[in-house]
Amino acid sequence: MKILVPVKRVVDYNVKVRVKADGSGVDLSGVKMSMNPFDEIALEEAVRLKEKGLATEVVAVSAGVGQARDTLRTALAMGADRAILVETSTDVNDDLEPLAVAKILAKLVETEKPDLVLMGKQAIDNDMNATGQMLAALLGWGQATFASQVDIKDGAATVTREVDGGLQTIRVNLPAVVTADLRLNEPRYVSLPNIMKAKKKPLEEKKISDIGVDITPRLQVVRTVEPAQRSAGVKVGSVDELIEKLKNQAGVI
Amino acid sequence: MFLNEVQEQVLETTRSFVDAVIRPAAEALDREERFPSEIYDQMAELGLFGIGVPEELGGPGFDTLTYAVVMEELSRGYASIADQCGLVELISTLLVRHGTESQRKILPEILSMRRKVAYCITEPEAGTDVSGIRTTAERDGNGWVLNGGKIWIHNAPVADTGFVLARTNKDAGNRGMSIFIVDLHAQGVDRGPKEHKMGQRASQVGGLDFQDVRLGPDALLGEEGRGFHMMMSVLDKGRVGIASLAVGIAQAGLEAAVDYAGTRKQFGKHISEFQGVQWLLADMAKDIEAARLLVYSAASKIDRGLDATRSCSMAKCFAGDMAVARTADAVQVFGGSGYIRGFEVERLYRDAKITQIYEGTNQIQRMIIARELLRKGARS
Repeated sequence: MKILVPVKRVVDYNVKVRVKADGSGVDLSGVKMSMNPFDEIALEEAVRLKEKGLATEVVAVSAGVGQARDTLRTALAMGADRAILVETSTDVNDDLEPLAVAKILAKLVETEKPDLVLMGKQAIDNDMNATGQMLAALLGWGQATFASQVDIKDGAATVTREVDGGLQTIRVNLPAVVTADLRLNEPRYVSLPNIMKAKKKPLEEKKISDIGVDITPRLQVVRTVEPAQRSAGVKVGSVDELIEKLKNQAGVI
Repeated sequence: MFLNEVQEQVLETTRSFVDAVIRPAAEALDREERFPSEIYDQMAELGLFGIGVPEELGGPGFDTLTYAVVMEELSRGYASIADQCGLVELISTLLVRHGTESQRKILPEILSMRRKVAYCITEPEAGTDVSGIRTTAERDGNGWVLNGGKIWIHNAPVADTGFVLARTNKDAGNRGMSIFIVDLHAQGVDRGPKEHKMGQRASQVGGLDFQDVRLGPDALLGEEGRGFHMMMSVLDKGRVGIASLAVGIAQAGLEAAVDYAGTRKQFGKHISEFQGVQWLLADMAKDIEAARLLVYSAASKIDRGLDATRSCSMAKCFAGDMAVARTADAVQVFGGSGYIRGFEVERLYRDAKITQIYEGTNQIQRMIIARELLRKGARS
């Protein structure tokens, strides 16, 4: 079984982001970037499937700026066998829309012919939560999103999904798209010897023009604003006062 | 910006491990003076021991700059843990450079921490002046007999194997010393009590006593009479390691101080709004950065095969003095809290002090810098 794992280079989750002065988005120049945490979880799962002897090859792919090469190197150090970069832009502030990414991935699936695409349920930058679903639709494959457990057996994946109010277990025939949720696993730390070994693993680079996919944006960002500042709390003197405030001021009871 | 892609990756993986595992454990380890085997096991899995050991000998084969990056990060978590990494690095460097094929067979055990090592140089009469050692190894058949004693040896209470500097020729001065690989569980080896130190208290330090310890022919590392030389040959790297360790302690202090200044309120505002506190933070940040750059410069010189002695001494001396001064500032930012056990900066200040003393006191470093200046000229 061959697994394709798409990984996205996103703002590191520790970074306090800043909105650009013109409100067109978040300022990404000079900001620390890393692998999207949900993609890390997907990759960890793929590597575990390989370690269990259920997968034969794990291929990490990324689309975006050339710097996504670093993200792919991390993927190789985590255990991917090889990597493919599709360079779509040279401007670090450019972002691809889910449909564009899904189309690029669909093209790669055509040539790579994986049995499973295992990816993060969403990227932590835009929180779109759409690429996996769109990819499955474009390919005409089954999909299992928000996975918290994945079992592969007899050409099918039994996937436990984290849904509102509980867990749902479904079975999808392979090939399929599975998207990883937070509790699927805890990704490993990359070891120093594996960082060294990753240097020797193949990283293939393609240009978007080689792929022949239209990535023209369909969406227009109207406005980006910082979250409202939280105002300070109030100390109340008694339970009665608390109830009064909850009723009349906050209007929650 | 001085690191390549691979070094950045090493930094990243070490940093996340340090933040998740080492830094949260430091306070208890300091309090309990405990040898953290469980953390060392995880570090061994990540390949954080023997960073410079070539791939063909089972290590990751990284350069000195990468080693410096790892040491700073580990120390930002806890200096005692970084110092264990430094110790393994020195011993494994000695083995890689001078060990025979059969002696190198213990490398995988050392790198996995299944075999704990000690580097046994210091004696009561031989601290900075190593030529004063009195431990002797005398020929006995095709082996040796070891007699003498060592003090303040890192890992002495727990180590399996000692790398012991002993005199093999009374009349040959610095050329009359040799290094022996000694089984510390052998008959005639006695361990002194564990020392209780001011800082870096999870490092197990104590004395070792050797009485007629019989050593086989394979115990000699490298050539007889070259012990002092071998020891000196790893000093530059050792100093880069300790300099990085000092930077890591100070960096932890800065991080704690910045966080605290942004949350602690006095006179109705955060203390970070007071210029007096801002200047403390600014001075900490600039001196830490300066020390880090000295470390990177010294490490890069070693990696390029340049004469690095002056740079390594400058880095070690500046970083050690800086760490003591700037962790004192971190305590100052915390005010009374900074003087209380359990607050990180109180420990950092104690942990920093030894960086002015071990791996050559900072007075010796100044002597070396001056000697190099006067011998080789003012330009480095």
